[in-house]
Amino acid sequence: MKRFIEPDELARDSRFIRQSNALTTVLATLPDDVDAVVDVFEKFTPMIRDSVRGTPSQALYDEFGPAFSLALLNEPIRAGARGLKTRLKMRVHAIFVGELQALEGAGRSLWDFPDTPWDFKMNMARQCWDETRHVQIYEKLMDHVGASAGDYPESTFLFECACSDDPAMRVAGVNRGLEGLACDVFRDLIRYAEEIGDETMKQAVDYVLADELTHVRFGSEWVKAFTRDDPEHFKRTQDFRRQVDKQFSFGGSRSDRPDAPIRIAWEDRLEAGFSEEELRELAEISGDGPSPETLIEAARVLRERHLGEREGPKTRAAAAAKAMA
Amino acid sequence: MSETRLYPGASKDERTSFPPYSAFDVPADLRELHGRYDVETTARRVRNFRYAHEWLMMIQGGWLATIPEVPVKTGLGKIIWEDAQSADQFGRRLPELRCGRRSMNASEVSNQGFADFIQAVAEPERPDLSIEKLTGAFDVLKPHLLRVYDRMQRETDQIADAPTIEILDDVMRRLRRHLAWGEDVLERLCDTDGKRERRRRRALALREKLESCGGVTGEISDESLRIH
Ligand SMILES: [Fe+2]
Ligand SMILES: [Fe+2]
Repeated sequence: MKRFIEPDELARDSRFIRQSNALTTVLATLPDDVDAVVDVFEKFTPMIRDSVRGTPSQALYDEFGPAFSLALLNEPIRAGARGLKTRLKMRVHAIFVGELQALEGAGRSLWDFPDTPWDFKMNMARQCWDETRHVQIYEKLMDHVGASAGDYPESTFLFECACSDDPAMRVAGVNRGLEGLACDVFRDLIRYAEEIGDETMKQAVDYVLADELTHVRFGSEWVKAFTRDDPEHFKRTQDFRRQVDKQFSFGGSRSDRPDAPIRIAWEDRLEAGFSEEELRELAEISGDGPSPETLIEAARVLRERHLGEREGPKTRAAAAAKAMA
Repeated sequence: MSETRLYPGASKDERTSFPPYSAFDVPADLRELHGRYDVETTARRVRNFRYAHEWLMMIQGGWLATIPEVPVKTGLGKIIWEDAQSADQFGRRLPELRCGRRSMNASEVSNQGFADFIQAVAEPERPDLSIEKLTGAFDVLKPHLLRVYDRMQRETDQIADAPTIEILDDVMRRLRRHLAWGEDVLERLCDTDGKRERRRRRALALREKLESCGGVTGEISDESLRIH
């Protein structure tokens, strides 16, 4: 078995659909500009259309067009919000595949770095078991919200960004970047579960969040250990984590902006070993992408165009008139 | 008040009145001070065992990403942690066996043949080779370890080497669970004659390799342990 695999080598059964990482990668660097977002989605339309064909996502594509994920993911998950049911299913499904990739990332850290200290291997082995439970928990939570594995396309973006070939950067990317994002997403989901009184979801996700704090702590400790006596290496590792944090902010969807769909879980992150300074930096890095209004407006324009094209010139004119209104 | 002596004094008459072995019906200790392995041998074997579990943990970790079946991924996730705990427990025994305080991470392979065998177990990589992956670990290597540990547990010094016996107890309990899981999964995966034949052929090839190098300790003939 070779060391280091490509993200497209992550094995999945026939239920899963793979979506190219290119779109997510481009989205991570977009400016706060409606036209720019629309242009990117139009470029990726054929890819998105192919990836959803014959899946439960096709109905979403038909209804919202190529930017269905933008339309649905860029509002907070809150009781009574527009399209809540679908958005919740997509969110829980996205977490489920994220947990799979976190499991695979921890497992690969055992195989890819055979010469690391024993305590590091013990931490990674423990993380394998923890991520295993997370996959199992989110399988049940998918059931709970009415989704199934493979309902939505999976991008291997998380694995691709986080899995560096250098052990210090791997733990910085996986255990601080990816696990940090998990803290933000889970705190948000707990808030929603509390809001609607869903004790099942609240308790399960709270346990998962407790595990993720431990994983961030592994990351914080091992970045220090792997770069001890090498300030230049430490700096490169921090730069890498900043880059991952930027990518995992999905153009500002995860940020400290008051209107962000997913806010930074400040308290949880402090407890996990992020410093105040690192968090201020994260808020800055994540806050300069397109605003939710920009994304929602881009999604609206794309939807109008999509419906117009599908339903022919007559409806296109009506759609244009509606859009103007 | 009578003067019952609670503690022995300096002269012959100043003894306590407690009868030796008291009045309780404690069964006699029938164990003997005898074992097949001396301290050095046990330490070497423990290092050999640690090597096997450390590699199992790493190999299964690598496989997680290349196995498409989700329940196999999640099953292995827990097994990886259990193999890590087994390796860790063996490591913690080493300083107690006069290997030095820094010996806890000392895995040691018995011979090059066993190292090659481990690499052969690790070899399958493609997602369509779940049968070959699991057969190596769950049909060949783990059953072999279980047999070696079972024998060591019976034949090492029952009193003097009891800490090793306790560790083997924990490790064997985990291994038995792993074997039951592996059997279930392989039964399910091998649902055609062709796939059952793949499992059989893979196990045969690896068992030959394992036997020719003498197994985890390199002493299979000594231990009269037939692998087939
Ligand atoms: Fe997780
Ligand atoms: Fe985690």
